[in-house]
Amino acid sequence: MTDHEKIKERSIDPSVHQMLERANTLGLETAWDRYEAMLPLCGFGELGVCCRNCNMGPCRISPFDDGPQKGICGATADIIVARNLIRMIAGGAAAHSDHGRDLAHTLLMTAEGKSSGYEIKDETKLAALANEYGITVADRKKEDIAFDLAKAVYAEFGKQEGFLKFTRRAPEKRIKMWQKFGIDPRGVDREIVEIMHRTHIGVDNDPVNLILQGLKASIADGWGGSTIATEISDVLFGTPTPVRSQANLGVLKQDHVNIIVHGHEPVLSEMIVAAAGELDLVSLAQKKGAKGINVTGICCTGNEICMRHGIPMAGNFLQQELALITGAVEAMIVDVQCIMPSIGPLSECFHTKIISTSPKAKFPSATHIEFHEEHGIETARVIVKTAVENFANRNQDRVMIPEHKTDCMVGFSAEAIINALGGTPDPLIDAIKSGNVKGIAGVVGCNNPKIKHDHGHVALVRELLKNNVLVTTTGCNAMACAKEGLMLPESAEMAGDGLKNVCQKLGIPPVLHMGSCVDISRILTVCAAIANALNVDISDLPVAGAAPEWMSEKAVSIGAYVVSSGIYTVLGTVPPVLGSKLVTEVLTKNANDVVGAAFAVETDPVKGASLMIDHINKKREALGI
Amino acid sequence: MKFPMKGVIMQQPKEIFVKIDRCVGCRSCTMACAVEHSESKTLFGAISETPIPKSRVYVEWVAPDKKVPLVCRNCDEAPCMSACISGAITKNDEGILITDMDKCIGCWTCVMVCPYGVIGRHLETHKAYRCDRCPDRDIPACVEACPTKALVYDTVESYSASMRKHASIEITRSDRE
Amino acid sequence: MEDYYQYVIVGASAAGMAAAHTIRQCDHEVSIGIFTDEMDAPYFRPLIPFLVSGKKKAADMSMIGSGPYVEKNITINTGMRVIGLNISQKQIVLTDRSTVSWDKLLLATGSHPYMPKNIDGLFTSGVFALRTLSDARQMAKYVEQTKHAIMLGGGILNLKTAFALLEKGLNVTLVVYSPEVLSQLMEPEDAFLIRKALDKAGLKIITGVNAKAVLSEKGKVKGIMLDNGSELPCQMVCIGKGVRANVNFLADSGISVNKGIIADKYAACNLPDVFTAGDVAVTYDPVSGAPMMTALWTNAVEMGRCAGKNMVGIKTIYSGTFGILNATHVADEPFVSMGTVHTNSVDYEVYRYHKNNSYRKLVFSPDGKQLIGAVFVGNIQNAGLYRYVIREKMNINHLKQNLIDHSLHYGHLLK
Repeated sequence: MTDHEKIKERSIDPSVHQMLERANTLGLETAWDRYEAMLPLCGFGELGVCCRNCNMGPCRISPFDDGPQKGICGATADIIVARNLIRMIAGGAAAHSDHGRDLAHTLLMTAEGKSSGYEIKDETKLAALANEYGITVADRKKEDIAFDLAKAVYAEFGKQEGFLKFTRRAPEKRIKMWQKFGIDPRGVDREIVEIMHRTHIGVDNDPVNLILQGLKASIADGWGGSTIATEISDVLFGTPTPVRSQANLGVLKQDHVNIIVHGHEPVLSEMIVAAAGELDLVSLAQKKGAKGINVTGICCTGNEICMRHGIPMAGNFLQQELALITGAVEAMIVDVQCIMPSIGPLSECFHTKIISTSPKAKFPSATHIEFHEEHGIETARVIVKTAVENFANRNQDRVMIPEHKTDCMVGFSAEAIINALGGTPDPLIDAIKSGNVKGIAGVVGCNNPKIKHDHGHVALVRELLKNNVLVTTTGCNAMACAKEGLMLPESAEMAGDGLKNVCQKLGIPPVLHMGSCVDISRILTVCAAIANALNVDISDLPVAGAAPEWMSEKAVSIGAYVVSSGIYTVLGTVPPVLGSKLVTEVLTKNANDVVGAAFAVETDPVKGASLMIDHINKKREALGI
Repeated sequence: MKFPMKGVIMQQPKEIFVKIDRCVGCRSCTMACAVEHSESKTLFGAISETPIPKSRVYVEWVAPDKKVPLVCRNCDEAPCMSACISGAITKNDEGILITDMDKCIGCWTCVMVCPYGVIGRHLETHKAYRCDRCPDRDIPACVEACPTKALVYDTVESYSASMRKHASIEITRSDRE
Repeated sequence: MEDYYQYVIVGASAAGMAAAHTIRQCDHEVSIGIFTDEMDAPYFRPLIPFLVSGKKKAADMSMIGSGPYVEKNITINTGMRVIGLNISQKQIVLTDRSTVSWDKLLLATGSHPYMPKNIDGLFTSGVFALRTLSDARQMAKYVEQTKHAIMLGGGILNLKTAFALLEKGLNVTLVVYSPEVLSQLMEPEDAFLIRKALDKAGLKIITGVNAKAVLSEKGKVKGIMLDNGSELPCQMVCIGKGVRANVNFLADSGISVNKGIIADKYAACNLPDVFTAGDVAVTYDPVSGAPMMTALWTNAVEMGRCAGKNMVGIKTIYSGTFGILNATHVADEPFVSMGTVHTNSVDYEVYRYHKNNSYRKLVFSPDGKQLIGAVFVGNIQNAGLYRYVIREKMNINHLKQNLIDHSLHYGHLLK
């Protein structure tokens, strides 16, 4: 295969092809190159049968019978795989929950007047949340309410006993099910710590017991840390409402200062957006020869500012290096999660500055300008100024910005969806009952060079639309759909007749962008609301989830909490569990008996969609609709 | 007395050489070999096959810290070929020893005479098996899988030449320093 | 058939064919003629029990074109028995008194089954000593009129034949004089796992008795009488009491014979240009140096190859024959036995180890410095390495624990 053909095989996105060709020409290495060099991947790792939890090892269990069948401590493949899996959940749950913790912290600071540049934008949401926590709202200043809420939410992290408030949004049946199996989480941090304890050598050596704790911690993420992140972000920065935007590398502008925010927390990106809009800095940019400052986003923080402000999305996870390769970026400002350490050295091939901001996340060859809410807007100004001044260093002859960018309509928070439906979920429920909309799918997750970039996402979504399944999406999948043009009301044309009809009537796209990965909590909230309205459990609903190109530990935690919430989930890349028949069975079959849902693994996206459609139809039948 | 080369092989056959000092004992080779000799040819498929596929390469340990990958050497005067009482073992045109599974009666005489211990006994089919140099691949699976390049697929001539080159650099090192 | 070949080989089984092919590999031009008194083209003798069981056909056992036996232009004259030698004229003499001349001669006439003189009535219809393909065909036919077969002798050949008969649905009893089966290959304690497997497979085994006579009626076998006086009815008797070298034709030839043809370490006989290999030859045990005869395919092939090389002028030393060098599996139990494994009379250092379904015995020289014998049952991994260690008379001090633990692998020998 020629290089050219190889590049075409790596992605469906023409902007990616163009940038990979450029990388080839310039001799720059990308994640795809490193993936190829890494092949073949270690089979023991792929099967999940490598254990490094103690220094008697490292141990591996050979699946081909000619080697040891137990680790040195006596752990079988089943135990090792289960331990490894729930440590992945711990990692993912920790990431999401820390994000939530940071938002709670920002709210607290803001309530106390100690933060700079932040305000409480959505008082309605503030009141609603306060009510949920039993905090008095009437006749109180929003700062006081916010203070109490922040303290209450903060406390969820360090809780030792009791339950997490937001879990009680789930239907009664679901909560009872969690309690029955002992997986109703007690506190966010506690459940994660307990995973680390249980997976230490010589603690929990029962694969099912281990998996149950994994589910528990994931629920503490989904209905805990992630929901906190979403809700508090809405309070501080506004609950998203439908807004138009654009997606793909073409949003970079040759004649502007290009700033890309990358990472996850709107605590940073909102300030950057604010600063970049300030007159002084815009004038400075113009003095430097630019027409203005162009802020765009990559990964979830990009999703956050797009949802709330219509800020364009430059690309998803696998495009982060390609954005730099355009040569048009003055600064890529990063905080936490999904940021490849390769971008530092890569940026040195251009004038681009990588600016790290979190004390938790430092990177090679990055400039560290530490960001704290106390001086939020001030630090943001410093960062933006650095970027603007870097414009002088740009070599316009070395700039190659792909022309591809696609219009999209984003901003479908749960509230926005209810609004679009006219104030109640009834129109949607009726559409589902009538069969115009067969069901709802949540298609989420990352990119992974194991799957042709964006093909997994888009092919699966297209198949669902054809079959009249309404698609909600977050994260990198959302960006993929946006780039493909699936996120416009006009794209209803691609849907089956039933779905097309409904979308056209409501003026909504058939694919609804619900936000960043923590915003999957929005999907949970919607499902809970519908389930409660119909007086059933979430597992009775004609809904299904999919992560066609997942890679991160966060995705494992998400998959776990989505399944724990009763939603069948299809994974597009194989998780490291096949080394244990038992764990594989538990995840794909027995989970049904515990949480009323299970996982399926299907690397072909069209087949994956079929699995979801079959499942949705089964649920419809059971409901008698 | 003339001694012409029997069945002159037109292109030099390649061997699997082992650089013992580069082996870290990760056993990626055994996994890749078993997968290559499975029905499905994928890791995830191979682990659920019956009978479970077998590796033809072995990684042994010599205290305190040496790891030694071992595989059939395709000996010119293979003791196994002479010893086989059913004539199941032949050398093909590429110089690779092949066991005809229909003829093999599982008597294990070949196992008994192999000086490297690299003939395996298949418990389910009662046949003897050994490395076949992956006839369906350009490069044997084990060589490709080795993450430290401890396994090298090369002709004797070329490999020896590279060893000589390396040795001559070492020998003349003091002259150059 | 010509009346002259540069290389004449008497005997077309393991040793003869191995020698012939080795000669041809070294020289594509010379003429090679093999003479065998069997009517069948060369075949893998150890496979003939499969003809009795029906699992293989005669064609499957053919040597020509199988394994290493792929050389061209080797003339094989079947049905030609050699009745004498004329060394001074460099000729062999056939039954019709015709002669064939040679430049170099290999005597690889093999052996024949020993029919014990102390058992009466052996020459009755239904008594077999399985040696040739022809024997196997006859036995296979006789199965049709047999319900119960009795095997006299508990050696490996009888065991294999017994299984072939079991597979045909016959009842089979093994009558063994020694305390246990496979007494030639191992000591009674070593054979217990195999005995268990044989019992489980349905073979009836009686030990410690010998047959005194074969009873017949109307010229056919009807039973045997044991030396304890009891009678066992049966329709077929199979003799597996060892073999004797085919040396009668050398009576006046001048070739040194002592139970077999005496060979030096170059597989040469006492007279120039004459060599010998296989069952008929007397070689030596590499460990003790004592004269040794064996009836093993592997040894015959190796000796034949060695003789072939020496015949073309490549001086090659034959590294000697283990008396015992056996590998097979019976009743799903694989085993390997090599070297000196009978330890009763001498002060050897012996290790025995039995766990689950595996057994091994390792025999060291009295000073403990050399491995001289090994038995493996069940787990036969790396057996070839043990053969090497025994044959090379290696000083095994640094390896001893690995040998005993059965953890020996080739990496150890690289040091």
